[in-house]
Amino acid sequence: MTDTSLPTRSGPRINLRDAGTFFGLVLIFAVFAVLNPVFLTAPNLINILQQSSINACIALGMTFVIISGGIDLSVGPTAAVSAIVGATLMIAGVPIPLAVMGAIATGMACGLFNGSLVALAGLQPFIVTLGGLSLYRALALIFTGGNPIFGIPPEFRAAINGLVFGVPVPVIIVAIIAGILWVVLNRSPLGEYILAVGGNPEAARIAGVPVARTKITVYVLSGGLAAVAALILTGRLGAADPTMGNLWELDAIAAAAIGGASLMGGKGSVIGTLMGAVILGGLRNGLTLMNVQAFYQLLATGIIILVAMLIDRATRGRA
Amino acid sequence: MTPSASRLSLVGVSKSFPGIRALDNVSFDVRPGEVHGLLGENGAGKSTMLNILSAVLQATEGQIIIDGQPVTLTRPADARAAGIAMIHQELQHIPQLSVAQNLFLGRPLTRAGGLLVDRRAQERRARQILADLDPRINPRAPIHTLKVAQQQIVEIARALLDDAKIIAMDEPTSSLTPSEFESLAALIAKLAAQGKSIIYVSHKMDEVFRVCDRATILRDGRFIDTVDLEQITEDQVIAKMVGRDITHERHVTHARPEVVMQVENLSDGALIREAGFTLHKGEVLGLAGLVGSGRTELLRLIAGIDRARTGSVTLNGKPVDLRTPRSAIRAGIGLVPEERKKDGIVRERPVSSNIALPCMGRFTRFGLVRRRALHAESTALMKKMGMRPPDVSRAIGTFSGGNQQKAIIGRWLAADVDILLFDEPTRGIDVGAKSEIYDLIAQLAQSGKSIIVVSSELPEIIRLSDRVMVMREGRIAAILDADQISEDAIVANAIPKSKGPVPAPQPVEARS
Repeated sequence: MTDTSLPTRSGPRINLRDAGTFFGLVLIFAVFAVLNPVFLTAPNLINILQQSSINACIALGMTFVIISGGIDLSVGPTAAVSAIVGATLMIAGVPIPLAVMGAIATGMACGLFNGSLVALAGLQPFIVTLGGLSLYRALALIFTGGNPIFGIPPEFRAAINGLVFGVPVPVIIVAIIAGILWVVLNRSPLGEYILAVGGNPEAARIAGVPVARTKITVYVLSGGLAAVAALILTGRLGAADPTMGNLWELDAIAAAAIGGASLMGGKGSVIGTLMGAVILGGLRNGLTLMNVQAFYQLLATGIIILVAMLIDRATRGRA
Repeated sequence: MTPSASRLSLVGVSKSFPGIRALDNVSFDVRPGEVHGLLGENGAGKSTMLNILSAVLQATEGQIIIDGQPVTLTRPADARAAGIAMIHQELQHIPQLSVAQNLFLGRPLTRAGGLLVDRRAQERRARQILADLDPRINPRAPIHTLKVAQQQIVEIARALLDDAKIIAMDEPTSSLTPSEFESLAALIAKLAAQGKSIIYVSHKMDEVFRVCDRATILRDGRFIDTVDLEQITEDQVIAKMVGRDITHERHVTHARPEVVMQVENLSDGALIREAGFTLHKGEVLGLAGLVGSGRTELLRLIAGIDRARTGSVTLNGKPVDLRTPRSAIRAGIGLVPEERKKDGIVRERPVSSNIALPCMGRFTRFGLVRRRALHAESTALMKKMGMRPPDVSRAIGTFSGGNQQKAIIGRWLAADVDILLFDEPTRGIDVGAKSEIYDLIAQLAQSGKSIIVVSSELPEIIRLSDRVMVMREGRIAAILDADQISEDAIVANAIPKSKGPVPAPQPVEARS
């Protein structure tokens, strides 16, 4: 018998699930546009993108981890450690590009640690990264004594807060990363491996996929992207705070899930995750414009996530 | 009860899915006390029929009549109330729970006004029912500690507990040993003698002829015939199933003298001990033995899936790194696993991606996958192998078992391995696709590939193999040359000899 839950048509160029996310995005933006005239203005839209960029950056890494069948709960503390390392290097007079690389290397090292425990020691991703969450946060707090690091060089701050053709630099950074990751997922052998490992790890192994290497790679990627998000925030705030990134993992998972990533692994989309991040960012922006209290914003976020999942379930057919 | 009347009648039953007519005006009847086979290739409509009977699906048209009364089956509970029970191919129970708990799952016997489960009463009732079926089954044992055959008996017990009049069995013997099949056959006969009607779905002709009284044949969702199995031959039934005659071609050897692979002293520290043999270019080496004799385990060692403790494999004079499947594949060894869903395919991914997994490098330039080349090559490959439809961008999970198998074989052709290991290559594959797989294996041998085929079906082994290697309790018991191959020779070497006096030759493997 054929399985009705899988697409039987040879893939249309536009992914149906992405089209669904896009429809949700348009719907939410349309509602806010009607409710508030400021919402749909160019400056506000750019503002939304700017506000969503950090979550989008984290969520893209999360998407790769989720597609591979894992989860990365440690992204927030990874970001904090990376920010601390980057800031410390900058203040010590290390050239900014080197300091940036140092921060990203720190994030990737956290990812390497997570990935090795998952792929080589065979521990469960949830537990490994839960441990990482405490561990990296502790490292950041111990190293700084709990105090933020101030005195970020103004050149770095200017670079992050600058505009290119009217678009904020963080948005451009994340857009470039997303473009690269889209190619990686859809056009590279690594993308095929990630999808195969997440879809059926044992079959992938027997087919000769380097399963351990693939898993480690996605955690390293996630750690590196957490560091990029940390650098963006450090540049915007002008300080590296060891408590940075609290609960980032949840926003990132939400964006990925809204965008169609399956926590069972094997499914997910770069474009979907971007739209998921923009949906969450737009929602917060719109509610803030309408002076809705933060408590209610949280409520709305929760409802959107659950509604998105219910629609996802219903449209996939098989219950 | 009127024994001549029919227990179950299906009148003009049809089922349509968008774009597909899965069942088209099917009518047949099942008598009380009858074992009724339901035959057809994959996609013929057997599963749809069973799903309608168990109310997982609803018929679009037609009537279902039980003991003269038309019934409406909209929910699984309706089917149970109507006296229909289903024994699924993949047994449905919760492994950690006890036999009794599984039997009463969802409708426990209770005490204290329904607040507490009355375990004792459940175990008593379970013991009563099981006494008749297999008294060795302990109602308190966790069900995962039972053998598959016994787990199946528990499912049957569950059907009896529901007081089912009609018991449908979907491929009940797919994981049973021959002697377990004998017990199941006896049990089915007993149930039939008690007046139960059994609907028996199987691909294995010899079993159907052994167990069933009559059989209904479906093809492409249409009713073809209901036949009395006393008055028809196997080949006639198969011809009705596939709509053409299946030819039994004689095996032609393509084996050449040069040795391609040499296996020496291979052990896994558990079951496999000191396995050693050679494989020639273009040779098909059959690997026979009882279930549990280590056939699959040996293949997995050679394919690098499980770690060997001692021993070596040499391919074209070079030692093979057996530490991972990837390294074994690099050396030129590919496995077509028995459990396609679990070990073979990534079901959400397109056929082309499933094919390319072992050899992504070949389809990559400047770090990017050459989609067009991959699509073209896998389409050509699948057309050659007769995949229907040859649409390689569709998710592999949407294809039938036979087509999935062709894709897995295609994967190793694309990777250009020298050695192909087949583990039960035709399990769960319908008769028509089966002979295509046989032809493919012969073609592969002709093109110079060397092949090892594990099969529990002796006719299959004998038909395919140039030589047959027989395993017994983890060791290679014998390697039979072409002129020595016979069912008797294989069976004689497969039976463990340690158990007292040599038993009289008994049918240990399915015969046809």
